[in-house]
Amino acid sequence: MNTFPPRLLSCTLLVFGFIFQFACGLHAQSLLDDLEMDEAPVHPVYATFKDTRIINVQSNETPGENVMHFVIAHRFGQINEGAYALWGLDNASMRMAFDYGLTDRFCVGVARSTFQKTFETSLKWKLLQQTSDDRVPFGVTLFGVGMARGDSVFTSNIDSRTFSNRLSYTYQAVIARKWSEKLSLALVPSFTHRNLVEFTNSAHDQWTIGAGGRYKIAQRVSLNCEYHYLLKKYAADIENSLSLGVDIETGGHVFQLHITNSRGMFERAFLTETTGRWLDGAIFFGFNLSRVFDF
Amino acid sequence: MMLVASHFCIGQQWMTRNGTVDFFSATFVENIEATNEMASGLLAEDGRFAFRVPILGFRFEKALMEEHFNENYLESTRYPNGTFEGVISNWNEALQDGQWHEVIATGSLTIHGVPVNREIPSKLQWNGKSWQIETEFTVATAAHEIPIPKMVRDKIAEEISVSVNLSLSPR
Repeated sequence: MNTFPPRLLSCTLLVFGFIFQFACGLHAQSLLDDLEMDEAPVHPVYATFKDTRIINVQSNETPGENVMHFVIAHRFGQINEGAYALWGLDNASMRMAFDYGLTDRFCVGVARSTFQKTFETSLKWKLLQQTSDDRVPFGVTLFGVGMARGDSVFTSNIDSRTFSNRLSYTYQAVIARKWSEKLSLALVPSFTHRNLVEFTNSAHDQWTIGAGGRYKIAQRVSLNCEYHYLLKKYAADIENSLSLGVDIETGGHVFQLHITNSRGMFERAFLTETTGRWLDGAIFFGFNLSRVFDF
Repeated sequence: MMLVASHFCIGQQWMTRNGTVDFFSATFVENIEATNEMASGLLAEDGRFAFRVPILGFRFEKALMEEHFNENYLESTRYPNGTFEGVISNWNEALQDGQWHEVIATGSLTIHGVPVNREIPSKLQWNGKSWQIETEFTVATAAHEIPIPKMVRDKIAEEISVSVNLSLSPR
């Protein structure tokens, strides 16, 4: 009955013991490895863009809760004005903007441009945030702005000089994805409505499809570009807006330097009323300086 | 079989997944504070100790500070965790008497992907159910190759104070 040879038994025990030791040895290697087995927490992707704008157009970013985001933007004259106007630097127009974050994902803004003495009020809402585990692969931010011209003579027709004729509106969605630490891209469809148009046969509504992106070339420096394609040009001299820029971040400030063929710095102007031609040198140098204040 | 074997030879372990880490940077211009409640710690019967904190779990008062902390300084996408691995050098069973004991955690502290050997004085108490560990120490940003540009040097301290609170229950 007892046919199990003692030698085999001891051999088996030896093997068992060996495995046992080996397993313990493995385990003793690193306590940290035990902790590393836990999954990293999922979080919303941060800093898709450095600023709330890519160049002219909105990025998917909003100021955080109780943060006042203040931007002073300058746009100089056409570079092809030549040396007499110091390549446009004599002719600056500026835009001042205050955006305030009511929550981490929703902000309200007011702005004023010297160009056409325009006032703006805007709302911006981060509807969807990209997540680190890619369950949400891109972010969607909605933006709406109402613009009012304030210049005294904005139309030759005296009967048209009503307040509502001064108004225009732009609605857009910013669909953005941070592909890597360096590369972020955005797709920005926009709809612009102008209450007053130049000619009776001009369209009041304009659709544009925009694309923008940034590529970080250093820890605090990125190259940016954006392009807006007008689906239907309503006049021969209207161009698609193309801008190239550099973002430099210095902790609390972001400097944005750019060249663009758009003169205006608010949505209706750069999306639908760009007239500068890149090939003619009818382009503008500009810079934005943004600063955040916490409350 | 190896799994079974390894299970038997682990011995007693104590663990937490929601330890607290606070840090504080003080200069005459600005104080910066952040809190993280996602630290995990593991203590073995033989006094070996491991600790891990996800860098993205630090919460700051200002959203932009948090962004800069992750994007510019700690590069948390590349280096997602801060870790410590070592031994509690004067560890023995007699510590389990309900009193606070001064101990020294000796090992490797890794932040920003750069390991630094440290001896960190800590306090330890067995409260009948779990081990309480408390420690305060400083982290030199330069030692972990965290560059601080000249422009913000008066806002960010070169030595950051860190405090850790863990309550390790039987695993």
